[in-house]
Amino acid sequence: MIRKLFCVVLLALTIGSGNVFAQQIPEEEKISGLFPGISFSRFSSQIESSTDYRFYFKKTDVDSIQVNISAKDNSISQILEGIFKNTDLKYTIDEQNRVFITKGKPLELSLAKDFFESVNSLDEEDSISRISDTERAFSRNKLHVLGSSQSENSSSTASLSGKITGLETGNPVYGAVVFEKVNYTRAIANEEGFFSIDLPKGRHTIFIQNLGGFVEQRQISLQGDGILDISIEENIISLKEIVVSSEKMTNISRPQMGVQSLSIKAMKKIPAILGEVDILKGLLTLPGVKTVGEASVGFNVRGGAADQNLILFNNATIYNPSHLFGLFSAFNPDMVEEVDLYKGGIPVKYGGRLSSVLDVKAKYGDKEKFKVSGGIGLMTGRLTVEGPIGKNTTFVVGGRSTYSDWILDLLEEKTDFNDARASFYDFNFNFQHKLNAKNIIRLNSYLSQDQFRFDPDTAFNYKNQNINLAWTHYFSERLEAEFIVGQDRYQFGIEGRDNPLNAYDFGFEILQNHLRANFTYEMDLQHTLSFGASSIQYNFRPGYINPFGTESIVIPEEVNPEKALETAFYIGDAFEINDQLAVDFGLRYVIYNYLGPNTVNSYQPGGPISPSTITGEKSYGEGDIINTYHGPEFRVSGRYNLNNISSIKAGYNTMRQFTHLLTNTSAISPTDTWKLSDPNIRPQWGDQVSIGYYRNLKIDQYEFSLELYHRNMRNLIDYRSGASLILNNEIEQSILKTDGRAYGAEVMLKKNTGKLNGWISYTYSRSLLRTASDETAEKINKGDYYPSNFDQPHNVVVVGNYELSKRLSTSLNANYSTGRPVTYPVSKFQYAGSERVYFSERNAYRIPDYFRIDFSINIEGNHKVRKLAHSSWSIGVYNLLGRKNPYSVYFTPVNGTLQGYQLSIFAQPIPFITYNFRF
Amino acid sequence: MMIRKSHSLLVFLLLILAFTGCRDPFEPELTQTDFAQLVVEGYIEINGKESGIKLSRTRPVISDTDPNMESGATVMLRDEFGYQWDLQESEPGTYSFSGFLSAFSTYQLEIILNNGNRYISDNLTPIITPEIGDVGFQKDENGVDIFISTQGNDQAQYFLWDYEEYWQFKPGIQTVFIYNPETNEVDYRRPDQAINLCWNNNLFPRIILESAGKYTDKRIFQKELVNIPNRSEKLMQRYSIKVRQRAIDRESYDFWEILRKNSDDIGGIFSPLPSLIQSNISSLTDPEENVIGFVSMGQSAEKRIYINVADVFPWPFFIPEYEFCQIENDTTFISAYSRKFSSGNLIPARPIMSGTTTIGYLGAPVACTDCTLRGSNVRPDFWED
Repeated sequence: MIRKLFCVVLLALTIGSGNVFAQQIPEEEKISGLFPGISFSRFSSQIESSTDYRFYFKKTDVDSIQVNISAKDNSISQILEGIFKNTDLKYTIDEQNRVFITKGKPLELSLAKDFFESVNSLDEEDSISRISDTERAFSRNKLHVLGSSQSENSSSTASLSGKITGLETGNPVYGAVVFEKVNYTRAIANEEGFFSIDLPKGRHTIFIQNLGGFVEQRQISLQGDGILDISIEENIISLKEIVVSSEKMTNISRPQMGVQSLSIKAMKKIPAILGEVDILKGLLTLPGVKTVGEASVGFNVRGGAADQNLILFNNATIYNPSHLFGLFSAFNPDMVEEVDLYKGGIPVKYGGRLSSVLDVKAKYGDKEKFKVSGGIGLMTGRLTVEGPIGKNTTFVVGGRSTYSDWILDLLEEKTDFNDARASFYDFNFNFQHKLNAKNIIRLNSYLSQDQFRFDPDTAFNYKNQNINLAWTHYFSERLEAEFIVGQDRYQFGIEGRDNPLNAYDFGFEILQNHLRANFTYEMDLQHTLSFGASSIQYNFRPGYINPFGTESIVIPEEVNPEKALETAFYIGDAFEINDQLAVDFGLRYVIYNYLGPNTVNSYQPGGPISPSTITGEKSYGEGDIINTYHGPEFRVSGRYNLNNISSIKAGYNTMRQFTHLLTNTSAISPTDTWKLSDPNIRPQWGDQVSIGYYRNLKIDQYEFSLELYHRNMRNLIDYRSGASLILNNEIEQSILKTDGRAYGAEVMLKKNTGKLNGWISYTYSRSLLRTASDETAEKINKGDYYPSNFDQPHNVVVVGNYELSKRLSTSLNANYSTGRPVTYPVSKFQYAGSERVYFSERNAYRIPDYFRIDFSINIEGNHKVRKLAHSSWSIGVYNLLGRKNPYSVYFTPVNGTLQGYQLSIFAQPIPFITYNFRF
Repeated sequence: MMIRKSHSLLVFLLLILAFTGCRDPFEPELTQTDFAQLVVEGYIEINGKESGIKLSRTRPVISDTDPNMESGATVMLRDEFGYQWDLQESEPGTYSFSGFLSAFSTYQLEIILNNGNRYISDNLTPIITPEIGDVGFQKDENGVDIFISTQGNDQAQYFLWDYEEYWQFKPGIQTVFIYNPETNEVDYRRPDQAINLCWNNNLFPRIILESAGKYTDKRIFQKELVNIPNRSEKLMQRYSIKVRQRAIDRESYDFWEILRKNSDDIGGIFSPLPSLIQSNISSLTDPEENVIGFVSMGQSAEKRIYINVADVFPWPFFIPEYEFCQIENDTTFISAYSRKFSSGNLIPARPIMSGTTTIGYLGAPVACTDCTLRGSNVRPDFWED
């Protein structure tokens, strides 16, 4: 009953009735009649039956009341006064003649006077306190209805015009770009800040971009011609490129997660070894990306092995991304436009590796004028020339090389290390030609080579050679296609010239031809489809040795060349369900054929793969399909915008990998070979589940992200004891089928603007391996999980840049990480005259933790417009603290007794200086 | 093959290249668990040469104790027909055998420890090692390389070499004199008192392995065994190396290769990860127990060569201990003999003559004159001049 009562009260309030008391009612209905000793309930129903009054009360309140009165033209108030005399019951009557009986206090029908006002002021306070975010979010999301739909103009488009002014100054913003992202219609504000843009009638999100300012957005519903004045933040000094600003939005709004972009500009600020801007070293400052040590080739993403990263340099697959054993990355920084690393949420058009895709985008040259840029460091020099040829063609050509062995020469005097030599070069030529508005042709080519030797006897070399041609065709405004054909080649060689009788040439080679077709179709405002196919034809020469010279008695030997075809079809949809929710989902189907000619062993099923379980050998001819693996890969990721400044995302993807790096060392060594999946070595399979939270703070000044992931991996490769991987035709007898799992959390806080900018990232990650349960040959650590060689649970990176002035900036880079796992000797024994060591379980211990601080100062030349060259200096110190970070720890018998050593690579502060120029 | 050798060089280069890289002594914090696993080492000769099996136990990696030999065990060899040969413990932990065995039988080694634990080997098949083709040497800018050439056959494809080096050396200051405290005179030294010429040796060889299978006719040509660096004392007079060649089977080869890799190659940047050491001995008492070591049988081959300083002339040498050796400038006269020479720290080195009479001696520190402080003046039995 009482509930009913309150409901009514609220109802009364909502319909806006005034505050009424019985006493104030001018005309009351008169009641006459005899009520002899009846209950109040009975009394009330008698009154209700003869009048308009309706009673509301709690039964228990009135149980004890006996009504015993005789009324003659009395008002209801008089009667109730009489009945309730000497009780604590009170009554209230409202306008609609409803009678509320309450105990103790009459029901209060009015609200506090300031009830509504106080709500308002609270609101106001809130918005003041969060003006930067909330108001911005409000104006961004508020729908501005413009124009009149009743206007006689019946055309389907309408004109939107207005004035763009600065938020703080109120001055017109000249040059601001107003655009929408469906058809990319755009307009530019004139000197007075006025713009005018013709758009189809209906809903639009329009973006306002001031060069160097933020991207502002407005939601409009354009009914007819209308005017919208917009105030935006202006930033007089242009510090940021448009790319960077769009990145800002993408942190929150792109549906994929686990994507890291680094502009070359950001990378240039990170202090580098020997002063060379290094893409791979830059990546290592991002959460989830690690390396087993300085000067090691390759990197590990989210607990994956170094060979599980697909490294693309303008469509070309790079098998060895380093120079000089990892001291330098193989990418010339002047050639690089942007770098994207996909740790999760890998786009459906990529495949073939388990852990990540590193997409390095190179330049095609400046459209406006010829430019020359370059740099001179301690060991290397580089030069890049770019520019237009005619109206529709641009090119860029760049080279980099060591120009001196002087460091080695210097060392020669101090050591008996004669004739050591190390050199490298790389060369790029990219070319873009616009045939017409609908067709663009691009040529990408890359060549890199390393050579080194330690004595005149043995020389090593390796080489990447890549070329591809891409044709972009716009079928329509909505359908775009890219066709790529290319060839990638990687090879390494060893020349042994120790002795004419033992002289040999050892070689390894990968040659892959690839063909790709990628389509994107913007179906409507909500759906963007991507689909296509790709095919890679692999030709591996997994190792050969030939005698050199007529005297050599080395027997020529070659591991059977391998061939395979990897074909994939994919389709994906970027689906914007609504403003909050967007989903990217795709399916990729991969078919892998291992092809003849080859000879393949078959083994007893279920038994260990070993020489004793060979049941037969089968030879296949040219073009025969030896076996086929195929299966789907799923890529799903979704984003939900909590509001304009924060979002949550989740993703799931599966990957397959058909090429395996054979390495017995923890880093990629220049003499590691690759192996294709065959009937005895299954392709690697992995999946990843991830979730994340993203938030921008202080008007996008700070970006915060948190990502969690869990990965499963199957058919990884570990090695049996004493496995020999070189010139081995029966590699399957040397490997152990291994499962892996990796999980972790990545937290990053990034400050994009201001004099002080940079980021802090913390990564917790584990990477564990386990000999597969169906592997019977050998069980590492009795078949339990053991940490992988690159399992480094804690990693903290701080990158800070401080601009002292426009010409002088400093950067500091600090890096901490848990020591990587290592297998220590736990006991020793005497054998063959020396003390020998017996090792612990695999990776049971860790080397000491890693900590390093680098510092650099960048000095820009003066900013005079007319001068010969713009130059800059980069001066710094690598490993400022000179901490002796152990790369590895080992034990070796010295004069018959065992001595432990730790090996550090950069054990002292290393100063560097580089001069860069462009004109 | 050179590939492997170059890996460690690669590491070296890297260090150099960075010109700040460094190698420091390191002691990890390890759990001091003493696993005390059984270690079995041995090669049984089948043609009567003395050979044997050594039994010991592992020790914690950081410990200074002597090898923990396992004595009191019963070790026997049994062929497939059940014939049995017992090995006798000749010194603690060493069980010797010298006898003639058929090369065409298979054998098993059985071990019963003092504590009753029993171990048995896999089947062992003796391999007759081909004779060593040649042990030679060559001088180049890196010193003198000693190499071996041999030829394998279908039974003997995998080779294991070890060696013993002996060499003569002379002290920094040579003297033929000795102070006799009884007569307070300086006498000429008797041959057994000679300290001018000593022998030194190196019995801690590296493991050297090679597979002949990859060469034409299984011929191994000039495989490097030892490098004697420039200025080494080893070649200042006369040097001798005895090389033992053993042909082993594939599994033993793998074991030795792992042992070698675990000792020589570990820790570099491109070094392989340490591998599990396997064994052809297993426990009958506890199948889970891990035993270390690989036992082989067969007949080994040996060869000894000598290298004289004349063969490598010119051979400048340098012995750090003798770097600052000098004969005293002041003559010690007869009256001072007892005071100066009786402690033994100063040895009479050069006589000072007055006419035909010796009036005193110039002394020299014992560390510079007495070669027995660094070696032995006893000529080894095998030594030929």
